Amino acid sequence: MSIVLELDHLSVALKRGRGKPIAVLDDINLTVNAGEMTALVGESGSGKTIASLGVIRLLPRSAEIAGQVLLAGTDLTRLTESEMRRVRGRDIGMVFQNPLSALNPTTRVGNQIAEVYRLHTGETDRAARARALDLLGEVGIPDPADRLDDYPHQFSGGMRQRVMIAMALACSPKLLIADEPTTGLDLLVARQILALLSRLRHEHRMGVLFITHDLSIVEEHADQVHVLYAGKSVEWGTSRSFFAQPRHPYSQALLAAVPRLGQRRLASIPGNLPDPETRPPGCRFAPRCAFREPACEIDYPAPDAVGGTVFACRRAREISPAAMLDAVLEQPAAPPVVSHEAVLEVTLLGVDYERTATSFLQGVLGRKDKMRALDDISFTLNQGECLGIVGQSGSGKSTLGRAVLQMIPYHGHVILKGEAFDAMSRGQRKRARRQIQVVFQDPKESMNPRMRIGDIVAEPLKFTGLRGQRARWAAAAALLDRVGLSDQMMNLFPGSVSGGQAQRIAIARALATNPGIIVLDEPTSSLDVSTQALLLNLLKDLARQDGLSYMLISHDIAAVSYMADRIAVLNGGQMVEYGTAQDVLARPRNAYTRELIAASPHFRSHHLGEPSETLTYHLSTAQPSAVQTATAQTKEFNP
Amino acid sequence: MLRMITQRLATATLSLVILVTIVFFMTHATPGGPAFSILGQKATPAAVNALNQRLGLTAPLWLQYAIWWWHLLQGKLGYSYLLNRPVTQLIGDYMMNTLALYIGAILLALVLSIGLGLVQGVTYGRWPARLIGALQLSLYALPTFFVGTMFILYFGVKWPILPTGGISNLRIEHPGLLDYAHHLVLPILTVGLLGVAALSRYFGTSVHEELGKDYVRTALAKGLTFRAVLFRHVLRNALRPLVTILGLSFPGIFAGSVLVETVFNYPGLGYLLWRSALSQDYPVISAIVLLIGVLTVIGNLLADLVNGLLDPRERYE
Repeated sequence: MSIVLELDHLSVALKRGRGKPIAVLDDINLTVNAGEMTALVGESGSGKTIASLGVIRLLPRSAEIAGQVLLAGTDLTRLTESEMRRVRGRDIGMVFQNPLSALNPTTRVGNQIAEVYRLHTGETDRAARARALDLLGEVGIPDPADRLDDYPHQFSGGMRQRVMIAMALACSPKLLIADEPTTGLDLLVARQILALLSRLRHEHRMGVLFITHDLSIVEEHADQVHVLYAGKSVEWGTSRSFFAQPRHPYSQALLAAVPRLGQRRLASIPGNLPDPETRPPGCRFAPRCAFREPACEIDYPAPDAVGGTVFACRRAREISPAAMLDAVLEQPAAPPVVSHEAVLEVTLLGVDYERTATSFLQGVLGRKDKMRALDDISFTLNQGECLGIVGQSGSGKSTLGRAVLQMIPYHGHVILKGEAFDAMSRGQRKRARRQIQVVFQDPKESMNPRMRIGDIVAEPLKFTGLRGQRARWAAAAALLDRVGLSDQMMNLFPGSVSGGQAQRIAIARALATNPGIIVLDEPTSSLDVSTQALLLNLLKDLARQDGLSYMLISHDIAAVSYMADRIAVLNGGQMVEYGTAQDVLARPRNAYTRELIAASPHFRSHHLGEPSETLTYHLSTAQPSAVQTATAQTKEFNP
Repeated sequence: MLRMITQRLATATLSLVILVTIVFFMTHATPGGPAFSILGQKATPAAVNALNQRLGLTAPLWLQYAIWWWHLLQGKLGYSYLLNRPVTQLIGDYMMNTLALYIGAILLALVLSIGLGLVQGVTYGRWPARLIGALQLSLYALPTFFVGTMFILYFGVKWPILPTGGISNLRIEHPGLLDYAHHLVLPILTVGLLGVAALSRYFGTSVHEELGKDYVRTALAKGLTFRAVLFRHVLRNALRPLVTILGLSFPGIFAGSVLVETVFNYPGLGYLLWRSALSQDYPVISAIVLLIGVLTVIGNLLADLVNGLLDPRERYE
């Protein structure tokens, strides 16, 4: 087997401002074989993107690189800049996250693909265009000849990523680096992209370095797995042995933090990732690790190997994986207070969008095309329940949330505790709207960057009749406490908190008016998996304490299955499936639902260590605790 | 693209209708009416009445408004009180001179701004960019008439190489295009330099912003040189805000050219406006205001269309 890429003791230090360079990547050893995929896994701040940019040497000028980057035997760190330019695009293809911004918006995709081919082969424009056409076909773009002269914004998210891949493939590179290529894509699309990458690497005998924060997505496709934490490798090995039994506490927690169908508890990791400036001298995970001993904090553990993976943990050998996992799995919350009293009823709700005039005459006459975004939606939300709204982007799920929040015009009825919004007076409606609050996908975007956290949370308290700045400030502190944040945060601005903290603040703000219902619109989509796990667990706890009802809007049916009592599946503005979570997951009637379920990561026995017993997942049982054992549970989920 | 053009044309038409209405009420609401302006404050009521009759100012306002539109659509803008010539005829020559000055100055400003802005955007945060920034600020702070006067002092008086006023050499029998261009140099330099100050700053910021975008990293990862990335990918994207600003700055440039044309005795619309304002020649003033409005609307329309060419997302496809 030939090695395409070898990182040999690669370290990268970056300068921030005028200070000394800070090591962001520390002594990484990694290989990618021809025709194979190596997954480089880590959460934000782990240094995984620095590693990929280090390979093609596109780091900021101030970066200091030590160690070797061997591409088919050549050390890239020793090449001159002009030699390196010949490697980029020809020997190494790059696919970045978010293809909409990674493609030039004002250049036709055919030209963007042809450009790299022409550059490295010196072929004619005509040959390069023919090559671009072939490539678009190869990556699975329908009618490639018609799409060659389109611009990036005319493609859907998944198709754009295919264009990126076509561009990276143009010169048949030995190595393809894909940096979070599926993040931000719907699950079904993400899996298609992964399948495409797998096919291409086999056909072209090309090595793939796949960078991601989501372990579950690479499970089927990766040959090697390499987990980074705070700039250090914590565990690496073949994918088969890694997924059979991850050994490092961080790997285990990371894997168990991904919501899977049929999972009752999510792992959570207390604390935050250390900043590069304040990394502990010993094991970097030690401050957050339940099994740390004094020696862990003094020096970095030497690599140890058991069962096909290498891990940097001095205690992984002695502690059973099951015990390790149990330490990070959150205890299941108290059973929910479901009263079967409907707090929200939606009947025959529909939303029409007006398209802008398509011609001058239409514009002058004020005529507009109508497009149906949602049609005939009916559901009931009981007190203390969570209703999951699942669908791909464009399915109308966010529109449904906005209609329930009375933010857009709709027809049909939204009935809050027996009173329909359309039958209320203006004043009543205004007061009733406070009963339904919302948490958005990107928490920082939903906050005024010039307001202090304390003011952001205190602002809605004005509508609760709470008088006096000081009283509201104290109430805001109490709200932050409920979401697990300290009141020291109140004087900060949104720019200086992490994504997970910002989302907690958004939840605190939503709780301020003491609502009965919170609409959660993709609340965790922009968060790392371990942060997502913490947040979902928090939401679950809050619901149990207060009898809150949620409308959880998400494209991730596994995350929804972890939270929801009932699930509604939307496709193309229609509700194609609606029922209790158990029914929908166990006996999906709709083909689209079945597809979504099949694409989601499933709860599998080996994720919880040695199987202690095998249970058929009783989806009809309301109380899973009855079948839970103290340590590891195994649930086979059979759709 | 066609849909975008028709939409923009509709908006431009609406802007023009509003503009015409404003200009009409502005001129017809002068204290005492235009008659006093023409005949002077001490005119007898009989004389005022007679003049009002002749000018059709005794009719109800809505009728006057309708007649104004009717004349406007026929291209009749009335007679200059002062020179007793049709306004359209009068304005024609001046407008050509002003357009020559405008277009020359804008081209100069564009070329200099793109050059300076590219350097500024690429070296952002380092000394070349800081130097350019300081230059922009000082240029921006200089008053127009001061720059114009200095140019006259240096290039007209100290080293008499350029003409300092007018549009043609009166001593030449048939002044040609070269002579015309010669007279344009100093006014164009003055207006153009002042335009550079703002435009290059916008463009510099825009280049810097574009350089931070993901597609630049993609282009570099293809193996392109930085220069190729800059000219093939960044330039076009960075031009969009510049074009918008340029379209919006027409009235500003014009306001500046009133001063410049006066300083240089340059027979353009600004100069005519200044003279007409002094003598309260309302038909000429309103025609010029209207014309500036039309030029501004056209400028914006052009900016939109150019942006549509630069950026496919603007095309409403």
